[in-house]
Order: sequence, then C-alpha cells, then structure tokens
Amino acid sequence: MSYSKWMGSQKSDNNHAATDANQNQEQERPITSSLRETTDSIRKLLGDNDDFNTHEFHVFGQFQAMMYYFTDMTDHTIINNTILKPLKYGPRHIDVEDIPISQLKDTLINDTLYHSEGYAESSLSIITDSILRGQTVIAIEGLPEAFIFDTRKISHRSIEQPATEQVIRGSREGFIESLSTNISLLRYRMQTTDFRVKSMEIGARTKSKVAICFMEGVTNPGIVEEVKKRLSAIEIDAILDSGYLEQFIEDNHWSPFPQIQYTERPDKVVANILEGRVAILVDGSPLALIVPTVFSQFYQTAEDYTERFLLMSGIRLSRLVALVFSLVFPSLYVAIISFNPELIPTEFAVAVAGGRAGVPFPAVVEVLVIEISMEVLREATIRLPQQVGGALSIVGVLVIGQAAVAAGFASPITVVIIALTTIGSFATPAYNAALALRILRFPLIILAGTFGLYGVMVGLILVTNHLLSLRSFGVPYLSPFVPGNFQGMRDLLTRAPLWKMRNRPSFLYTLDQSRLGDTKKDQVNHASEDIISPVQPDGEKGQ
Amino acid sequence: MDQQRQITVLQASAITISTIVGVGVLSLPLAAVRAADAGAPLVTLLGAALSILASMLIVWLGMRFPNESYIEYSEKLIGKGLARTIIIIWILYFAILSSLIAREFGEVVITAVLRNTPLEVTVIVMLLLAAFTSRKNIMTFAYIHTFYIPFILVPVLLIVALSLKNADVVNVLPLWGNEPSGIVKGFFMLSTMFQGYFIMMMVIPSMRSPKKAMRSIWLAMLITSILYVLVVSATVSVFGAEETKKLLWPTLELAKDTSLPANILERLDAVFLAVWVTAVYTSLFSCYYFTIYSIGKLFRLQDHGMLSFFILPFLFLLAMLPQSLVQLNEINALITQFGVALTIAYPGLLLLVSLLRKKRGNQKQ
Repeated sequence: MSYSKWMGSQKSDNNHAATDANQNQEQERPITSSLRETTDSIRKLLGDNDDFNTHEFHVFGQFQAMMYYFTDMTDHTIINNTILKPLKYGPRHIDVEDIPISQLKDTLINDTLYHSEGYAESSLSIITDSILRGQTVIAIEGLPEAFIFDTRKISHRSIEQPATEQVIRGSREGFIESLSTNISLLRYRMQTTDFRVKSMEIGARTKSKVAICFMEGVTNPGIVEEVKKRLSAIEIDAILDSGYLEQFIEDNHWSPFPQIQYTERPDKVVANILEGRVAILVDGSPLALIVPTVFSQFYQTAEDYTERFLLMSGIRLSRLVALVFSLVFPSLYVAIISFNPELIPTEFAVAVAGGRAGVPFPAVVEVLVIEISMEVLREATIRLPQQVGGALSIVGVLVIGQAAVAAGFASPITVVIIALTTIGSFATPAYNAALALRILRFPLIILAGTFGLYGVMVGLILVTNHLLSLRSFGVPYLSPFVPGNFQGMRDLLTRAPLWKMRNRPSFLYTLDQSRLGDTKKDQVNHASEDIISPVQPDGEKGQ
Repeated sequence: MDQQRQITVLQASAITISTIVGVGVLSLPLAAVRAADAGAPLVTLLGAALSILASMLIVWLGMRFPNESYIEYSEKLIGKGLARTIIIIWILYFAILSSLIAREFGEVVITAVLRNTPLEVTVIVMLLLAAFTSRKNIMTFAYIHTFYIPFILVPVLLIVALSLKNADVVNVLPLWGNEPSGIVKGFFMLSTMFQGYFIMMMVIPSMRSPKKAMRSIWLAMLITSILYVLVVSATVSVFGAEETKKLLWPTLELAKDTSLPANILERLDAVFLAVWVTAVYTSLFSCYYFTIYSIGKLFRLQDHGMLSFFILPFLFLLAMLPQSLVQLNEINALITQFGVALTIAYPGLLLLVSLLRKKRGNQKQ
C-alpha cells in the first residue's frame, strides 16, 4: 500500500482521473420510449444551459417528436432543410397516413431524411455526448431509439501560412484547430489506399479527439503499437494542446532535448509519414506531433527538399554551424579570454585587451550578465504586439548594447559575441531544440569560467553522452550518425539529390524500403540538344 | 537481451581504437627514444607487432565462446577456484590502471593548463565523468566510442601533418638507431602503450556477429599502429632523439610548436589538450566500465550500475597514492609491464586449455 495510507492518512488514493460526475451512473442506460422521460434525463445530465434548446414538433403530422441541440454549435440551415423539412412533410412516394410505429424508424432512415449521416442510438451517454459535440438529436414518442445527425458548425480561422515555419518555396498551408480540416489537408496530399487514420478520445472532461496517422505497408507496426499503447495509458482531465500529449508520451522527461517533433505544416507531416513515421493530431491544436524523432530533424526544413540540392546542402551546413555556435561560442570566448589568451593572434589580442580594459568584472560575470539580459529581452519581445516588438528588438540589441559598452560594464567584443549567438539560435528551425541549446549555454559558460577549455570539454562530453544515451520510441537519438549508417548519412549534413535517396531511413525499419523506381537514366539524364531545332518541322530550312 | 547484441564490426574497432589512444599518446615518444634513440619509429612498430599478436590471442579465445562473458568461460576451462583468484588479480590490475590513467591525466592538466588547480580536483572530475557514464548499458558504451573516434583521430593526424614543416629526415636516421641493442630490450615496454585491446573481451559477447571479431581487431590495431608510428616519427624528426629524451610529454611540445597556416591560431597546445581530454576520457571510461563489468559478472549481479559509485573512492585513493610525477612514471612502467604479461599469459593459458580440451562455447547466436 502507499506510504500515505500506511501512515493512516485520510486522503484517498489520487489515482482516479477526473470524470464527469453524472456520467458514471448513467453510463449504460438506454432511453425509454416515453418522450417526457427522455427529455427529463437529457435535461438532468446537461444541467441548466441557456444555449441548449429543445424544439417540439410533429413527424408526418402525427407523431410527437422533440429535437435537442445547442444553438451556438449547430448549423441551422442543415437542420431546417435536411431534417425538419422532410420530417414534417414526409416522402412523396409513400403514404404517410398509416405507418405503424414499428416501421417508422426504417421509413425515416431509408426514405425520408435528407441528411446523409443520420443513425439511431439508444444509449443515453452517447446521446448526450453527441449533443455536446454539436450534433442534433431527435426523439420520437413511442420509439426506443433516438436519431443523431451531424450538424456541427464551429467558426474557424482560415488556412494561412504558419507563423513559425515560413518558407520561400513550398506550400503556404498550415494546420488550423479543427481536426477534420487538418485530416483533409493530409488526405488530399496522400490519395492512396494505404493512408490510415485511427482516432481515440483522450481527456476525461475535454474528450478531445486524437488522430493517429500512418502509412500501412511502410510504417513499422511496432511504432504504431507503441504509440497507441502510450496514448491509451493517459488519464488526465484535459488535453488542451498536443504539447500535453507530448509530455506524457516522451521517453525521457528530464532531458532538455525534445524527443518528439511538432510542426504546423501539412507537407512536412506527409513527408515524415512517407519516411515511416507516425503523426499525432489533436482537435483544438494546430500543431501535429511526429514520432520517432532524431536530432538531425531539428535543423532540416521542408525547403531543403523543394530547392535544388547543392544550394540547400550549403544552407543546411550553415544552419548546423549556427546551431553549434549558439551552444559553445560564449563559453569558448570566456575560456580563451580567461585562461588561454595566448591562443589569440597578437594583433587581435591587443584590440580585445583594449576593449576589456575598463570592464570591472571578470569575463565570466560579464558574459553571464549580458546573456541573462538578452534572455529577458527575448521574452519581453514575444509578449509585445507587432509594431512595438519589432522596434524593441533592434533597440535592445544594438542601442542598449552600445550603451552598456559606453557605460563601461561590457566590452564591445562581448556584445558582438552574444548578438551572434542569439542570431545563431534563431537559425535553428525547431524552437524546442533551440530552447534546449539556449539553456545548456549557461552551465557551459560557468564551466568555462571555472576550468577554462578543459571545463568546456567536460561540459561538451556530458552533453554528448546524454544525447548518445537518449532514445525516441526505440530509435537512438543521434541516428544515422551513431550507430553509423552510411545510407542514412545522405540526408544528414548535406542533402543528396532526390534521385540518389533510394531508400527510406533505415533506422525506422520500414516495411517497404525503396522510394524510387528502377530506371534512373530516363528520370534524370536528359539530352539538352535536339529538342527544338531551327529547321522547319517538315524538314525545310527557314527562309 | 537481443537489443544488447547489436555491436557491429566497425563499432568494435572504434571501441578498441579509442581505448588504446589515450593518456599514453603524450609520453609515447619519450618511451620510444629511451629504448632506441633514433630507431624510435622502428621500436614502436615492433611493439605494435607484439601487441597485434597478443590481441589476436584474446580475440581468438573470445570467438570460441561467443555467448559467454570471459569470467564464465574461465570458470569452465580451469575450474572455479583458480579462475576466480586470477580474475580478482585481473580486476585489481584494471582498477589500478584506471586510477593511474586518472592520475596521469590530472598531472598533465595541472602542469600544462590549470596551474593553480589542486591535483585532487582534476582527478576527481575525470573519475566522476567516467563513473556517471558507466551506469549506462553496453549499447550506449558503443555509441559513445563510435561518436568520439573522429574527434580523437583527426586532431592527432592534423598535428602530425602540420608539424612536418619543421621536420628533418636526418633525425630519424639510421632507421634502427645508434644503439640497436636497445630495441630488443625496449619493445616490450612499447607494447604496453597498445594495451587497450583487452576491451575486446567485454565486447565480443555483445557483438552482432562475433565471427567477424578478428576483422575488427585487425582494423583497430592497424589504425592505432600507423597512428602511433606517425606520432613518434613526427616528434623525433622535429626535435631529434636527444632533445626528445629531455621532454616529459613530447607530443604536447609538438603541438606547441605547431600553428595553423597563415597564423590563424598559434600555440595549438591548448586546443590539442582540449581534444586530448576526449581521448583520455574514452580510455578511462573503458577501463572503468571493464572493471565494473568484471566485478558484476564475478558476483553474478544483474546490473552493475550501482557499483560505479561504489568503487569511486577506492580508485581516487589509489590515484592519489604516488607522491610525485617521477614515482608515478616508475609505478606506471612497472604495472603496465606486469599487465601486458598478464594479458598475454592468462588468455594464452585459457586458449591452450580450450584447444587441448577441445572445449568451445555454445555457438548459437
């Protein structure tokens, strides 16, 4: 038994997730044929809501019926035209005068209703659930089942370019909060029979719909099973964003490095699914999760593949350099200045010494102070609206930095180094990975100030060993670099041409390895002459 | 346990190389010229040859028992009592080796880099690093070594290449040195520099295909031998044999003399030391892990992670025992020579018994 129980504590076990208080008892109860009882039970469950409506009417002029819906979530046009109208008038080809009650349900579903997604249901919990989702329920006196129709209509923002993942060349669509729209954005890009979407509900009070998307025949089934297993184990009352899911299903909760990637772009999700990964989407969140994740994904963008390979390889390398810079640059500076100034070429060393002449603090303290103020400035600019925020970032970096130098408690080279580091951290496309490196900078600076270059090496060894022991859903975090895999390295530092990347990443152990067809020659090698000729088509030279 | 049997041939080579290339790189040319004067590269080559033979012995033995740890098959071959006694001596030897590595590392750091830091601090930091990482499983062990290999090999080769502009071929002639008799006496001492191959005893049971273990050891010893011969040749050709005899850590002095083209950075010894830290860390990590692994297997423990912090104080005390650098070098020479004898004699004995009694381990994968 738990320690608190053994101590005689009165608190009960805190293991039950929060659930709707009423739902527990009413779980499996079916509704009865009596309309009044049905109305009373629904009203009791839903409580006193001013936006909940009931509408009484007659079906075919004879049977008494009641319609239940939330006014703000339903599409009244659909209700009026496809449900109420046919119910009140009845089909033309059937004589509605003498329909016995036993045939009523079949007549309604098969002949009368214009709505394409209606079905009958008798469980009270499902009925109230549907009403809560914006669907309309119609109960008829004498029938033991009620009819449920999907009439959900919630205003959404339009599909626009994601703010955090902008590209020059590539699609400008981003996910929005509605899960069905997001899935449609994925489906139209993958119009194949193998694309699978499995959904589940997580969150006892929010009952958020979560969809798992993968490609059957490509994705290793072990990954899909593991994802399902981890998601089913979650018992919480609210899932407000995919970030909540991420924190439950990740492998190592203490590591600063993210083990799950998130994105707002459908084309990125599709590309990852085709490589053998699994995507998780949550209703209400525009960010999709992609598992399993390896470190090399954090400096790749969708644009790397839409542009030509030589140029994008260079740009990817520069991104990687910026990423490493944002981690070690300040600590290297502190180590060299404090412990090994002999490393700096003599002419430059004079300039550095001159700049640092009036500064009262040792290099460590100076760098730490400026770093911390930089972080505070960054947080501040996020909260400000567009017009004020833009000006503040320029003001912050340049003017305050200059003022600090002029005031004498910072040296100019420190400001340059910190500014370069911050800009370098923006070059990392993935915000969560950039965050990890930002945070890790500080212990490295302290180690550098204490032990010099040796301290930097010790810090880097610790960070690297941590990365090497991390796994994301069973895949080592630094694949394909370690364990070494030459085929995977084609997409690691540089991007090989599309026709050279024959196989999917091997560390995902996909069921179907090859991406390309076999005839390479015709796909890629094209003759440049003999396509258009100055000679006339019928063979005579032009006059 | 299938997940734990994934070490490939290349990873096994990487593990061996990074275990061998460690703290000895700095004092290697000194040992070589003390033995053979200008014949230092030759004596290094001979020492390498001996250690290649010794390593092949170990690997051949390991390949006959691909599914058992060396403790298990020792007990099978020569009986529990004798095996356990020898293995306890074996474990003690590797514990002392780990502490010697940590101590020598600390000495170099406080002499060359951090002059005001007490020795205890540098030693304890390095031991702690090794202890923390020893708690992980063997696949992480393999990944760590595989990752650091380029960072160890490339800078050493770079230093060698850049230093050649100051080299003079006369210094390495005649090839067998002015005192050829020293070669015979000295090459055993040189073979102690290549001692890291013992780690294959631990790696073979976790390899994906133990039949290919011989390939990985050949590759590893080839690369290490070439590297060490290059380092010795570069040092001796730049400084000359007599001057090298006066330098305590000749490779470090070599890095001090080197500078990048166009003088972008001078006095590269700080950079070299920073990179050398990774080399020492990987060798110390291997020795430490091997010690804990052996203790764990000896006492049939499931998980050897908790031992890592347990033996830390003992290793620290052992590391602080030598009173000075001179005493440290004497002890080092003695112990490592004893160690090489041990690592040749004991596996040789086991191999002989295994061949005579025609005992092999279970060959199933």
